[in-house]
Amino acid sequence: MRAVREGDLTRMGVLFERHHRPLFDFLYRMTGDRGAAEDLVQDVFVRMLRYRATYRDDGRFETWMFRIARNVRADHYRKHGAAVYVPDDDMDWASSEPGPGHLLERARDMARLNRALQSLREDRRELIVMVRYQGMSHEQVGAVLGVDAGTVKVRFHRALKELRDAFSRVPEGE
Amino acid sequence: MQCDDLGPEMLEYLAGTLPDDRLAEIRAHLAQCQACRDDVDATAELWNELGAAPAPRPESSRMRARFDAALQGYIDGQAESRVVSFAAARRPALRWQPWLQFAGAAALVVIGVGLGRFVTVGPPAQSNSEIALLREELRDTRQMVTLSLLQQQSASERLKGVNTSSQLEQPSTEVVAALLDTLKRDPNVNVRLASVDALRRFSGRDAVRKGVVEALPQQESPLVQIAMVDFILEAAGPDAKGVLQRLAEDMMLNQAVRARAERGLKQVGL
Repeated sequence: MRAVREGDLTRMGVLFERHHRPLFDFLYRMTGDRGAAEDLVQDVFVRMLRYRATYRDDGRFETWMFRIARNVRADHYRKHGAAVYVPDDDMDWASSEPGPGHLLERARDMARLNRALQSLREDRRELIVMVRYQGMSHEQVGAVLGVDAGTVKVRFHRALKELRDAFSRVPEGE
Repeated sequence: MQCDDLGPEMLEYLAGTLPDDRLAEIRAHLAQCQACRDDVDATAELWNELGAAPAPRPESSRMRARFDAALQGYIDGQAESRVVSFAAARRPALRWQPWLQFAGAAALVVIGVGLGRFVTVGPPAQSNSEIALLREELRDTRQMVTLSLLQQQSASERLKGVNTSSQLEQPSTEVVAALLDTLKRDPNVNVRLASVDALRRFSGRDAVRKGVVEALPQQESPLVQIAMVDFILEAAGPDAKGVLQRLAEDMMLNQAVRARAERGLKQVGL
């Protein structure tokens, strides 16, 4: 990113190759919409280009990138409203494919869990997505959100507890 | 120690990353508090269920083409705006707004994709073999990137390496061996967990199933152990009962792991 900031814009391609997958993963799990997630990934990289001068060497690149991604997502919600989750084909975990009973049951559990996750408040879901799916530490999440690691720990525990409660409320047949 | 103190530290307890003195305090509390034991079991199960969710796969080549077009538009626009700024003092010029640049770039991509489809109707044999060769080169490059990322010092880079492996349709045995090695030796819990998820795709291979079973006793993190129990259950089905029975009876294992193995036994009908 330093090279990009200094004017070598062609290096953005390398950054795109390295980071578009985790960004897509984050934005897809937050919006539940493949097309929107792809568009938002583009927006994040375009904003990186525009605001490259604001990148500082003292922090991790991923922290800066996820801050931009959160802003892009917030702008998207302002324009289009909050996400209404409709599972895509490749995320349809409760497929009716024939198979061993325990696998089918597990797929149904995962579909229920996903519904529970999508029913959480944005800020709670975001914490779970960053820690569980992006593998970010409490310190890294804190740097993105602008709070200390202790606060992230407490909020994350609350989010996980809410997810458990939401999961228990999703009917078995869903 | 109070029950409320455990919550924020539960994941670190399950990941096995707490300092020894704190670990001892929590274990002492759990030994006398059934409610907290249930809480730990439920959290561990939830954590692993979350990990079993399939990763969404982006259309990387299409996204990259769009981005390259947008980037080129931006670079061209910058060069043009430098020229325009000299002329602006003399005449008002029609300037390319950024949205117009990106719209133009997107239109070019659409035209390019359309032309590509048009041209590939009834392709000659030579272009078929060239495409196959290109695909092979792309696959080799991805494999190299995966192996290289798995060797990095930074845990987030290694995590990317594990995730990149999911982009490979037919990974080499070298990549699968590297994933197994990551599961056995990586110092970071999240990376090891991700490797269990990545290995699920290859659970049909005997060497992978055997490797996961062998690696289980070496794991220190109950979270990873539970994910491995789930893997074994999914991969072997009813054939897993011998392994699950041993795990359920192994008093050296964490109580949450034994409980998961017991539930697994019930699932396979024991």
